[in-house]
Amino acid sequence: MTKYKALIGLEMHCEISETNTKVFSSAENSYKDVPNSNIRPVDMAFPGTLPVVNKEAVKMALKASMILNCKQPEYMYFERKNYYYPDLPKGYQITQETKPAPVGIYGSLEYECKGEKRVAVINNLHLEEDAASTDHYSSYSTIDYNRAGVPLLELVTEPCFHSADEAVAFLETMRSIYQYAGISEADSRKGQIRCDVNVSIMDEDLDESDINNWGTKIEIKNVNSFGGVRDAINYEIDRQIELKESGEYDKMEQQTRRWDEDSLSTIYMRSKVDAIDYKYFVEPNIPKYKISKEWLEEIRKSIPELASERKTKYIEKYGLSDYDATIIVKDKLVSDYYEEVIKLGGNPKKASNWLTSVILGHLNKYDLEINEIYLTPKMLFDIMKMVDDGKISSKQSKDVLYKCLSDCKEPQVIVDELGLKQVGDEDTIRPLVIEILDAHLDLIEEYRKGRNVFDFFVGQVMKATRGQANPSLTAKIIKEEIEKR
Amino acid sequence: MEKFTKEMVDDYADKLLIGLTEEENKMVLDEFNIIDSDIAKVMEIDNIESVEPMTHTLDDFVYELREDVIEESVDIDDLLKNCDDYINDEVRVPKVVE
Amino acid sequence: MEYMSKSIEEIHEALKSSKVTSEQLVKESLEKAHAHQDEYNSFVTIIDDAKATEVTDSLLSGIPYGIKDNYSTKDILSTGSSNTLKDYVPFFTATAIKNLESNGAIGVTKCAMDEFGMGGTGTTCHTGTVLNPWDKTRMTAGSSAGSAASVASGVYPYATGSDTGDSIRKPAAYCGIVGYKPTYGMISRYGLFPFASSLDHCGCLTRSVKDAAIVVDGMKGIDKNDMTSWDSSDINLYESITGDVKGKKLCYIKELCDINEYPNANDELKSHLANFMDVIEKCKSIGIEVEEVSVDKKLLDALASVYVVISCAEATSNMSNLTGFIFGPRGEGKNYIEMMKDHRTKGFSPLIKRRFVIGSYVLQAQNKDRYFHNAQRVRRLLVDRWKELFKDYDAVILPVGSGPAKKLEGSKDILDESTKALEEHLQIGNFGGFPSITIPAGFIDGLPVGVNITGNCYDDANVLNIAYAIESTMNYKGQIAKEVRHD
Repeated sequence: MTKYKALIGLEMHCEISETNTKVFSSAENSYKDVPNSNIRPVDMAFPGTLPVVNKEAVKMALKASMILNCKQPEYMYFERKNYYYPDLPKGYQITQETKPAPVGIYGSLEYECKGEKRVAVINNLHLEEDAASTDHYSSYSTIDYNRAGVPLLELVTEPCFHSADEAVAFLETMRSIYQYAGISEADSRKGQIRCDVNVSIMDEDLDESDINNWGTKIEIKNVNSFGGVRDAINYEIDRQIELKESGEYDKMEQQTRRWDEDSLSTIYMRSKVDAIDYKYFVEPNIPKYKISKEWLEEIRKSIPELASERKTKYIEKYGLSDYDATIIVKDKLVSDYYEEVIKLGGNPKKASNWLTSVILGHLNKYDLEINEIYLTPKMLFDIMKMVDDGKISSKQSKDVLYKCLSDCKEPQVIVDELGLKQVGDEDTIRPLVIEILDAHLDLIEEYRKGRNVFDFFVGQVMKATRGQANPSLTAKIIKEEIEKR
Repeated sequence: MEKFTKEMVDDYADKLLIGLTEEENKMVLDEFNIIDSDIAKVMEIDNIESVEPMTHTLDDFVYELREDVIEESVDIDDLLKNCDDYINDEVRVPKVVE
Repeated sequence: MEYMSKSIEEIHEALKSSKVTSEQLVKESLEKAHAHQDEYNSFVTIIDDAKATEVTDSLLSGIPYGIKDNYSTKDILSTGSSNTLKDYVPFFTATAIKNLESNGAIGVTKCAMDEFGMGGTGTTCHTGTVLNPWDKTRMTAGSSAGSAASVASGVYPYATGSDTGDSIRKPAAYCGIVGYKPTYGMISRYGLFPFASSLDHCGCLTRSVKDAAIVVDGMKGIDKNDMTSWDSSDINLYESITGDVKGKKLCYIKELCDINEYPNANDELKSHLANFMDVIEKCKSIGIEVEEVSVDKKLLDALASVYVVISCAEATSNMSNLTGFIFGPRGEGKNYIEMMKDHRTKGFSPLIKRRFVIGSYVLQAQNKDRYFHNAQRVRRLLVDRWKELFKDYDAVILPVGSGPAKKLEGSKDILDESTKALEEHLQIGNFGGFPSITIPAGFIDGLPVGVNITGNCYDDANVLNIAYAIESTMNYKGQIAKEVRHD
């Protein structure tokens, strides 16, 4: 598409998973298999029940607002968004609108797309509640209210992305931020992230800063994975270009479509004309809340180091490659693990090697999270230390690590069980070397002629010691003994 | 300003998922006309548009947000005892399709 | 010996001195409730298995009372007088009722009301019209209709009410008793079925100011389940009633009280306003300074519509949970929309449906500023004006309504142009969350009328003390309704 450019905006919903309780009720905020087992009366809208705002949820929302460089309001208000749907027990969702101000308004965030820095323009960030979940059967649907009232952050961007790649890169950055800031697991497999996407196209050579040049905005609802976002955007851009090419584009009305995972296409839902009027008004049961400067300052101080900052540190301070640093910070749990190893005194580069070359492979192979494996940062550190201290060889250390992962035993226990120890003392190795050289006098000759048989001698020593000889020491002694002859 | 008409009243009622009789429809319009003329008078008040709408009863109210402490879930029997149709501890409704 | 027609203090004294037991009181109250129900239709439920309680130092212990049916009561039918909740039995009790229970109070009835509080006639209860115990051909006013009628008849010394526009204070006047709604948030609304959340207040109907103080002392308190509630533990209304009104200043509003403002006034209105001026004289006789003040007529003329717009808007949203899915009778239909529509069409009275339509209209994006926001702006202007008055005066005193209870025949719950500001000014008490109390102040043609005293937020003790002093100048304290006939 050289003739056109796309303008893409995102609405990203992310459940706040890290509070103990829901946003307007003190029911537990956690996923439960048992239906209707995380319920306080307000979650099912029993008559006379009232919302009570969770301080921690507000704190997390404000934290996100700051990270997104948004402006925080002096007073916080909530509003009711009124519509009827079986998953919405009150008949309205408590949310925030742009007027009065939500937890965050007008921000921007730097993110990276294919190694290039970009800036996303944030319109607003608001705190709201999730709806119940519905299961569908052949002839009926059932409603489980466990999810009703779970805190949700909705982030609305300006149409500042120009490709599916940019949009997805931004979403990945946001996911990482939510994870690093301790706001959410942000796991789309658990349904914690849901997106609406809006797409329009315009002629490439027109000025994008003039709103009159923009095309007709098409909103795509309920895209529930980043892959889906990518596919939906690409599909929609292609669809709109086709319309443009066939001269149908100008007839297209502003509309809402939905992404259909089965047909991998967007399907018409309703026209802008039929848009629901949500009859927003300020929630009277939640008095306006003064957000104090002191509290904001406290929250600002509690913002932890984020992925981008850690990455810079790994490269500049620890000397990791951009590639390795990127891999480590991609998953907060992995990065936390790495930080822990370093805190214990592990060498940053070696620790990085262990992670990227061994442990991440193991996680991928078994589809595990790093906090699900037996090997703790302390254990990894212990293994690294044994090598450094010459107690085991680096070859042995890999065996120990794998065994630690598979048998769920402490590294020291495995070392003891296998009887592994590095033969590091000269008095043991030297007689062995002499014995082996004596048995292969012909090879010494070959060696002197320049044939590479050195490794053969080392191998023989290793064999005799069942791999426990310290390789560098062994090599040194072999060299000395050959030269003596 | 579009005038509030009989058809609009029915449309609104429909969106509220309630039915209105002819007579009720007329009463809505009668009552609404009084409101409309009152509001028209309100709009003559000087600088009315600069007054901040009063959204809460106690304007200067100061309070604490709730601490993040879990309270026990309500017993499932209590939750469903007034429900006319449920199955496997979930509320049942006719199949919801988009 | 009958006790239910006495004051709370007297009944408490009798219990303390073992002249009567709590069991006997419950029995007496239930018997009276049944007799009253046959005549006036005040109740949705009479709690026949109500249990006596231990008599403690709490003035409310051991004594029966009535509960308006929009208070959620655990294991007791709570309908809000609506068919949408006609079989609803809650699993939790409203905080205000819980507080009364912990004082040893015994709920013996659930009182009928205008459906969900949305009405001022007592005629829209799903169990039928509540009749005025002074004259069965007249309305009690509403919405706390059953509460007012049963307290006036002496079924018990008090009942809880709720007040969104004047739903405690108007029926109190029409039934010749005291109706008090304290400052917004003094009593938790948790468990009160909402009508319009920014206007809804809990309160009580009693036969004396002192009883009202005692009852609200028993209902109030900050509640973790209601963010708009506040800590009033340093306020004891009962103990702060001294009757000392030295240096107190009241005002009344010329545009509402001056007979010359009503060129077409009928005899009833003339008597009513003359009676009010008599009360003003009585105030002066006990040393209260009273002055006439003026309020912009534009604001007063708008107040009724302002109320309708705000209350209907909030109500249509508040009652969106009435779908028949989780509670309430399940509607019939092929899909969820048909089911909801069936539930709501059958469940709501015509009045409520009309108000929903208006509430919905004024919230539509294209109408919101003209109707809803302008109404909220006038709300602020009225509240600001009243707060200005409270800088100079302890309270505003005004007549309640334009006369005594209206005839049931031909009554309609619709705005009436001529006297509407006089009829509806109590709503200002809801706009500002002001403490506001109505006390009986005389009779017109044998039917009771009332005056209202409204003060500044958090100044409840002062308002009650003034009301108490004014009450003491008249002979209506503790009065029980006696049917009058005039045809």
